[in-house]
Amino acid sequence: MSVWPRLFLALSLSLIPWVRANADLVVVVNARSGVERLTTDEVINIFMGRYRQLPSGIKALPIDQPETLPEKARFYRLLVNKELPEINAYWARLIFSGKTIPPQQARNTAEVMDWLTKKRGAIGYIERSQVDSRVKIVLELEP
Amino acid sequence: MKPGYILLLVTALGTVSAAGAAEQTEDISASGRLSLQGFGTLGIARSDKDGAQYVRDLSQPDGLTTSWSGKIDSMIGLQASYRINDELDGVVQAISRYRYDGSYRPELSWAFLRYDPDSTLSLRVGRLGTEFYMLADSRMVGYSNLTVRPPPDYFGMLVFSNFDGLDISKTVPAGNGLLRGKLFAGRSPEKTAFYNDISWNLSGSLLLGGYLDYLNGPWQVRLSHAQVRFKDEMPTNSLAGFDAISIAPDLSVVDKWSRYDSLGVVYDKGPLQLQLMFSQTKHDTSAFEDTKAGYAIAAYRIGDVTPYLGYSKVKSTPVEFASSIPSYISSLAGGSHSDQHTVFLGGRWDIQHDLDLKAQVDWIHGSPSSVFLYRPGAPSWDGHMTVFSLALDFIF
Repeated sequence: MSVWPRLFLALSLSLIPWVRANADLVVVVNARSGVERLTTDEVINIFMGRYRQLPSGIKALPIDQPETLPEKARFYRLLVNKELPEINAYWARLIFSGKTIPPQQARNTAEVMDWLTKKRGAIGYIERSQVDSRVKIVLELEP
Repeated sequence: MKPGYILLLVTALGTVSAAGAAEQTEDISASGRLSLQGFGTLGIARSDKDGAQYVRDLSQPDGLTTSWSGKIDSMIGLQASYRINDELDGVVQAISRYRYDGSYRPELSWAFLRYDPDSTLSLRVGRLGTEFYMLADSRMVGYSNLTVRPPPDYFGMLVFSNFDGLDISKTVPAGNGLLRGKLFAGRSPEKTAFYNDISWNLSGSLLLGGYLDYLNGPWQVRLSHAQVRFKDEMPTNSLAGFDAISIAPDLSVVDKWSRYDSLGVVYDKGPLQLQLMFSQTKHDTSAFEDTKAGYAIAAYRIGDVTPYLGYSKVKSTPVEFASSIPSYISSLAGGSHSDQHTVFLGGRWDIQHDLDLKAQVDWIHGSPSSVFLYRPGAPSWDGHMTVFSLALDFIF
């Protein structure tokens, strides 16, 4: 994308809540987490390491898709309108000043599902088509 | 931190990491995982003045001239962290950069154990970075910052990078946002440059402080306070060439407090980033002038490039000495005078997910008496300087 459409897109963000993305990403938690819905702010707090407690009182364990897959970049674009270098710069500050650690990075999509089903506090983002009974949708990242 | 203590900590980390390796799991909690990471900056810069040398901060013994130099911004840091379990982890970090004695000898910048009993509370013990101002504890990590270096008008006087002690932080939901408080206490392990090859030993000086953060959506607002009680005398007498402190005991710094208060506001939404900071520094000693400083940065990302524009200002108030103190003594305090502002313009280009290139120009306008932030100790200049900088920042 060249500069001007991008600039226009960014400016118009204040008018429309979400950029119409090309895929249907959903934020999911473990089905036993005791959580029904999360607000966008709550998901931001969890994934950006600000506050990692689920409303049900258990510790949130956020999971990132591999950086090689488009899901990760799309997720952060939809969630905070940031590109991956900005997300990495954000985490570099926190990692090298001994603060919060970033979400656990999975090596592949299967590992994301594996972790989501193993831990009660697990929270991740996947394509809607991958959702099954082991996980629960708590936020939809789409128009 | 005494060498024995460091050794103990490193051994402890090594032991638990060996124990962890035996029962290594690919568990999401990442228990038993050792990670090695690093960051660095290759930076070159020059100014248009030879009489006053521009430094990144006052810990550096000399700085820029009209020739390109890599010394003030280049550095490399390595970090090992080990997660013992969900509640406990340890971090050791060393940085090599241009330091007070003119060498690049690596220094232990962080070495701590952290205990997070729940997701709201965090306790750290060991060697920790100082966080007198917002973003101050990551000012060496170029990749995490927008500008080539934190604005020296604001951060340049901070010679404290780390301390040996503890801190505790607590985060609680408040309204639609989050409230976070932190308290810290410890002693400095550092030395800093003072005048030419004379350094000032800060070690043993007591550091206390804390802050209150409010985070809500794109906003982060912080009120913070820190104070230092110096243990060793500043080498004022070596600089003067006679016993100035016995003539003017107010010039002594020993057991006197310096207090740092600040307000920081960050607005970070999508491609737009704004930073606004104010600080006030007050000294019980007459060796330093009380100072007010502030800066503002605005940046907007366009594709992979983020242009930014900034303004910073620092001004100190001359110390009033008793009329009985001769002017050749009281003028020593004038060495800590600042009265200048800087306009800076630059751009950050994110080349890859772990590499950026920055270019920046700083235009400094000040009074010729604005000498504190420059080397050597008593620079003579007209108060105007332009600084050109290039930096390549990376993480690995």
